[in-house]
Amino acid sequence: MTTIVLLTLLYLQISPPKDVRVFDTPNDAGGSITITWESSPDAEGYRILRMALPDSVYTPVDWVDAATKRYVDKVEDGVKYRYIIRTERGSAYADSEPTDEVWSHGNVFHRGRTNVLIGVAVYTTLLLSFIYFAKRGKKLFVRKIAGLDAVDEAIGRATEMGKPVLYIPGLSTISDVATLASLNILGRIARKAAVHGTRVIVPNRNPIVMPVCQEIVREACLDVGRPDVYREDDIFYITFSQFGYTAAVDGIMLREKPAANFFLGMFWAESLILAETGASTGAIQIAGTDAIHQLPFFITACDYTLIGEELYAASAYLSREPLSLGSLKGQDWTKLIIGGLIVAGVILVSFGSDWFLGLFSS
Amino acid sequence: MFETIGIWIAALLTLCIFSFLYKDNPFYKFAEHLFIGVSAGYWACYYYHNVLQPNLFVPLFQEGRPIFIIPLVLGIMMLLHLVPKISWISRWPLAFIVGTYAGYYLITYLQTNALEQVTATLVPLVTFSSVVLFVGVTTGLVYFFFSKEHKGTFGGIAKFGIWFLMIAFGASFGYTVMARISLLIGRMTFLLKDWLHIIQ
Amino acid sequence: MRRQLPLAICFVMGVSMVVQFFIPHRVSQEFYRTILDWYRIVFAFSLVLGTGTLIKVHWAKISKKSKGWQYSIITIGGLVFMLAVGFITGIQEGTLFMKIFEYVEVPLEATMFSLLAFYIASAAYRAFRARTVEATLLLIAAVVLMLGRIPFGYYLWHKIPGIAEWILTNPNMAAKRGIVIGVGLGMISTALKIILGIERSYIGGGK
Repeated sequence: MTTIVLLTLLYLQISPPKDVRVFDTPNDAGGSITITWESSPDAEGYRILRMALPDSVYTPVDWVDAATKRYVDKVEDGVKYRYIIRTERGSAYADSEPTDEVWSHGNVFHRGRTNVLIGVAVYTTLLLSFIYFAKRGKKLFVRKIAGLDAVDEAIGRATEMGKPVLYIPGLSTISDVATLASLNILGRIARKAAVHGTRVIVPNRNPIVMPVCQEIVREACLDVGRPDVYREDDIFYITFSQFGYTAAVDGIMLREKPAANFFLGMFWAESLILAETGASTGAIQIAGTDAIHQLPFFITACDYTLIGEELYAASAYLSREPLSLGSLKGQDWTKLIIGGLIVAGVILVSFGSDWFLGLFSS
Repeated sequence: MFETIGIWIAALLTLCIFSFLYKDNPFYKFAEHLFIGVSAGYWACYYYHNVLQPNLFVPLFQEGRPIFIIPLVLGIMMLLHLVPKISWISRWPLAFIVGTYAGYYLITYLQTNALEQVTATLVPLVTFSSVVLFVGVTTGLVYFFFSKEHKGTFGGIAKFGIWFLMIAFGASFGYTVMARISLLIGRMTFLLKDWLHIIQ
Repeated sequence: MRRQLPLAICFVMGVSMVVQFFIPHRVSQEFYRTILDWYRIVFAFSLVLGTGTLIKVHWAKISKKSKGWQYSIITIGGLVFMLAVGFITGIQEGTLFMKIFEYVEVPLEATMFSLLAFYIASAAYRAFRARTVEATLLLIAAVVLMLGRIPFGYYLWHKIPGIAEWILTNPNMAAKRGIVIGVGLGMISTALKIILGIERSYIGGGK
C-alpha cells in the first residue's frame, strides 16, 4: 500500500520549466516582453502567469502547448512585470521560480539591421568616391549599350520623316525608382528631339507623373533654345485604368504613327500589347524595364531592350555627365564586391562553413 | 432586365475591342474613347470616396485634427500646376513624395535585392543544379558590368550571362502563354454562354 | 525657392526615411505610416489635376474640330456622366455607378487583357524568325515551359514537366537573381542621387 502511494506521488511529481528568461523584445516598437524557457519532460502544456508590480497576485495570460519554448507577451510600456511559467499535466502542475522584474520600451536602433547599415555605408562611400573622382576630371569608361546608341538613330529617323516620337514613362507612379530613371532618360531624349524640332508625345497613366513630364520636356526645350517646340497638349494624362491607358496608347500609335516608340520604366501585362502594336506600325522601338516578367515580351517585339540595370545606367550613358558616370562606376565596383562575396561564400559553404551566411541575414 | 441590357452592352463593347485585331476602326475608337472617359471618372470617384473623404476630409473637418492640414496643403500645391505663373509650387509636394520613396527604396532594395539575393546564392557546389545557379548569377553580374568592353574572355563570360538571361526570358514567356490563353477563353465563354447562350 | 527648396525637402524626407528604417520605435513607425497616408492624399489631388488636363485636351479637340473630334465627345461625356453618377449615388455595391463599372469598364478591361493571347502568338512567331543563338535559347526554353505546363507535354515525353521545373528553378532563377542584384544596385544609386540632388529631373532638371 505504501509503495502504491509513493509511486502515485512520484507520478504526480512533475518538474517545472527550467532556465526561464525574460527580456524586453529586441528591435521592436515597444509593448512586448519575450519569455523563453527550457521545456519540462512532464509538460502537456504551459500556462503563462504575469504579475504587474506593485500588485502581488499572478494572473494567467495564456496557455501554450508542450512544444512551445518562447512566448511574446503584449504589455504596457514602462510597467514592471514578473512572470511564472507553469508546467501543467492533467490537474498536476509545477511553477517555475518567479522571474526578475522586466519592462518593455520601444527600441531606438534595430540591431538586426546592422548589416544593412554597413551595406548602405559602404555603397554610399563607393558612389560618393567615384562621383568625387569624376568631378575632378578623371576619365571614366562605359561600355557600349546598343539600345542607347540607337536613341539618336530613332530620333533622327523621326525628324527625317517629320513624325513624332512617342515616349511611355511606364505605368507606375513617381515613387517607383524605375519611373524616376525613365524620367531622367526622358530629359535626355526630349533635349535631343527639341534640337531637331521633333514632337515628343508623352501619354501618362499616372497623374502625378504627368506634371513632372511636362516640366521635364519644357525645361529640355528651353535648355536647347527651342521653347517653340514645346507643346503642353502633347504631354497628357489619359486614365489610371491599366488597360484603358493601353487602349488609348494603341490608338495613338496607329493614328499619330510615331516613327520611334520608347517604352521605358515600369510595365505590367500591357507591355506586349503596346510593343506588338508599335511593331505593327513599323516604328523603331526601344524598351527598357526592370520588370523581369515583361522583359521577354519587349525583347521579342522591340528593336532594342534595356535589361534591368541598363535602364538605370541609361541616364548616365546618354548624358555622359561626370556625376552620373561616377555613380555608375560605383555600382560596378559594388557588383565586383558582391561577385567576390558570392565566390568566397560559395567556396566556404561548400567546405561546410556556415558563419558567412549569417553576415547577410537580418 | 437591367442585367440583360448590361450583358448586351458588355458583349458589344467586347466585340468593338476585338475588332482592333483586324485594324483601327470606328467601333474600336468608340470603345476606346468610352473606356477612357468612364475609367477616368471611375478612378476620380473611387479616390474621392475611398481616400479623400475618409483619410482627409473626415479627420480634418469632422474630427478636427489639424495635422491633416499638411496633406491638404500638399494636395492644393499639386493643383497649382494648373496655374502657369506659380506652377513651380507643385514641385514641393513632388519633392516630398520623391524624397520619401527614394529614402525608402534606398534601404529596402539593399536588403531585398542585394543581401537576400546573395544569401540565397550561397549554396554548396555539390550538385549540377547548384553549379548552374552559381554560374548563372556570376555571369549575369558580369553582363551587367559597364566598366569594361565585352571583348575577349570577359566578353565570352558576358555572352554566357546573356544566354542565361535568354533562357530565363524564354521560361517566363512559356510560363505565361497558358495564362494568356485562359483570358481569351474567359472572354469567349462570356460571349458564347452569358450573351448568346450557345454553350451551357 | 523654385529649385533649392524642393531639393532640400527631398533631402530631408529621404534621409528621414533612411533613419526611420533603423528605428523600430513606435514614433518612427507612426511617422512612416503617416507619410504613406499623405502620399495617397496627394495622389488623389493629382487625379483631379490629371482629369482636368484630360478634359482640357479633349475639349480643345472638340473646339478646334481636330481629326476625330467626335470621339472626344464620347470621352468627355463618359467622364462627366461617371463623375455625376459617382458623386450623386455614391460608389457602393448595387449603385448605378457600380453597374456601369461592371458592364462597361470590367468587360473592356478584360477584353483588352485577353488580346494578349493573340499578341503572344505573334511575339512567338517573331522569336521564331530571329535566327540567333539568343532567340533560339529563348524559344526552346519557352516551348519546354509551355509543354511542361500542359498534359500534352507529359504524353509527348514524360520527362518534359520535370525539365521545365528544373529550368524554372535553376537557370531561370540564376539569371533572375543576376538581374535583381543589378536592378537593386541601380535603384539604390538612383535613389541616392535623387536624395543628394544629383538627379533632379522630377523638378524639371536644370541647375
